[in-house]
This record gives sequence, C-alpha cells and structure tokens, in this order.
Amino acid sequence: MELRDINYNKGEYVETASGNKVCRQTILCGSQNIILQGKVIVQSEAIIRGDLANVKTGRYCIISKEAVLRPPYKKFSKGVAFFPLNMGDHVFVGERSVINAAVVGNYVYIGKNCVIGRRCTLKDCCVIEDNTVLAPETVVPPFARYGGSPGVQVGDLPECQADVMVDFTRGYYQHFQPIKLI
Amino acid sequence: MFSLPGTRRIKIFPGALVCEESKLRGDITIGTGTIVHPSAIIIAEAGPIIIGDWCLIEEQVKIVHRLPFDQQNNENTPVLIIGSNNVFEVDAVVEAPKIGNNNVFESKCFVGNKVTVSNGCTIGAGCRITDEQILPENVIIFGSNCQMREGLDRPGPQTLQMETLAKMLPNYHHIKKPNMKKE
Repeated sequence: MELRDINYNKGEYVETASGNKVCRQTILCGSQNIILQGKVIVQSEAIIRGDLANVKTGRYCIISKEAVLRPPYKKFSKGVAFFPLNMGDHVFVGERSVINAAVVGNYVYIGKNCVIGRRCTLKDCCVIEDNTVLAPETVVPPFARYGGSPGVQVGDLPECQADVMVDFTRGYYQHFQPIKLI
Repeated sequence: MFSLPGTRRIKIFPGALVCEESKLRGDITIGTGTIVHPSAIIIAEAGPIIIGDWCLIEEQVKIVHRLPFDQQNNENTPVLIIGSNNVFEVDAVVEAPKIGNNNVFESKCFVGNKVTVSNGCTIGAGCRITDEQILPENVIIFGSNCQMREGLDRPGPQTLQMETLAKMLPNYHHIKKPNMKKE
C-alpha cells in the first residue's frame, strides 16, 4: 500500500543541502552538537537536547511531533556525566515519545507516547509499541517487539523487518512534500 | 506581598537557573538552586505558586495550579507550595494542590488536582493518579495499573546531576536574571 502524501507548509520547514527537513517550531538546544546525517525529518515542537551531549542520527530518521531526544546521564562517584545519544539509519520515533536511550540501532520503530528510560540500548530491527515504558538500562534484543509498562517482550519480528523499515522511512520521506500552490 | 498588575510577578531567587524559553505565567516564586529547563510550563491560574529550593524541572513539564471544580469561586486564593529537592522529569503533568519535599515525578506521569503529595514519593513513568487522596510518605507508584508500595527509603537527591546542569546550561541558554535578594 502506498503512503498518502503528507503535506506541510513550505514556510514552516527548513530543508538543508543534505535533505534534512527540520521544522522551525522545534527546540534544538546546542545545535552545534546535533548531527543529522541526511534525509532526516524533524517535525514541529520536537525537542533535541544537544546541549547536554552529542546527538547523532543516521539517514532517513523521522522524529515526529513533540518527541524528545535527550542524552542520558550516568552517576559516578564524582558527579554526573551525560552520554552521547547515537541513532542508526531508518529509525521512526512516534509522537510525544521521550528517548533517553544511549544507543538506538538501525531499522528501529518506536511508537507514540513511549518512554525509553535512561541509557537503554535498542538493537537493530526492534519495535517498541505505543505507550511503552522501558525501564532504565534495558537492552532490547534484535527482532524483538516490546510493549507494556514496564516494557517486556511481547513478540518476535520477521527477518524482513529491515526491508520493511527501509521501505517505510523512504516512503515517508518521499511523501513528505510541501503543499503545492496551484 | 501584593503586586500590582503589570509589575513583574515572577520572583527568582539568586542561584536559580530559569531558562528564557520556559513558559511561566502568573505569580510564581522560584527558590535557590532550582533549575527550570527550556519549554517547561508553569501556570499559576488559581493563585500563586511557590517552588522551593533545589528542584529540577525538565522540559515539557506542566505544573498547573488549578482548583477542583467544586472549590472554585472560593473567596481566599490558595497558594501552591512545592517543597524542596523535587524532580519533575520530561513531560510530567502535575496539578496537585500541595507537594512536599524529595518527590520524584517521572516522565509522562499525571497527578490530578485532588491528589496531595507528601514527602519522598515516587510517581512512576506513565502513571496517572486522579482520585482524591493524600499520598503517604515514601510511597512508590509504578506499572501500568498504578500499583502502590511503600519504599524503604526516600529517593536519592539529584544534587550531582544538578551541579553538572548548573555548569552546562548557562553555556547554551539565556538565563532569566534573579530579581530577589537572599532573605
């Protein structure tokens, strides 16, 4: 099934040379520490906290409305350090999700309203269902489907999950088009 | 302490870090050492809000001082007093009429306007509590069904994290200037 076009107002988004589409209504703190590899969509009112530590995303990532990307912290005997947040390629983050993870692999789908706890590791090809709360320092294995509060494994994913995510994020990017004035 | 309309109604004590991008509305007092992240929302609708010392208020947090429906039209305006060392994590919505000390409100929790929070409580991520009640001390609310159990100890203070934040945030954000003097 083809995705329908998702239209946006051209004035509201900035398109960079590498194809990133970033809404003007986002809150990007410490933008010098945020790396978007290309063809990344950041929608309105998303928050990326580059001021705490580096945030790096891969290609074809989609950060939906009001999602928060926030580098995790770890306590040491002498103070607290913030760790960089690395995200792979073809990652979808749903609306109003809070990502406190340390590593998010490739081809990961995170639903709406999720809380990914501090320093979680999401391996490649996993799916986090809507409204999941992952406890801090959880490791989600590849090809696993997590859901519930606190998040537990609720199922497995087929081997084609990587291709599904590639198609999904590519399709989303191609159909995310400005409104054409006639 | 009556302030005329039009005068500054947001009082910030020295040592507090309040980012310019946070939304503060109404009569709000912010104590020493408190950190308010950008895009946190504090609305004093029914009456003033007084936030104690060393509180951590992260982004998207909504602290609203709003009265339950049956207590509106009351003559005297109540004051929402939030104690010290409270942590409000990302996207917590808190409407409680009274909050003690050392509480932790985790991400995406919702505390209704009939819930009184005492001291040392932890409200887990995604938990919604709306029924009229007074939370006993050191209670922990967790899981999808908002189960409750008593903690052995109160949650540890976040002073280490706040020290780090106090060093980092001024490098990246415009900070509101404190306009109060130490008592």
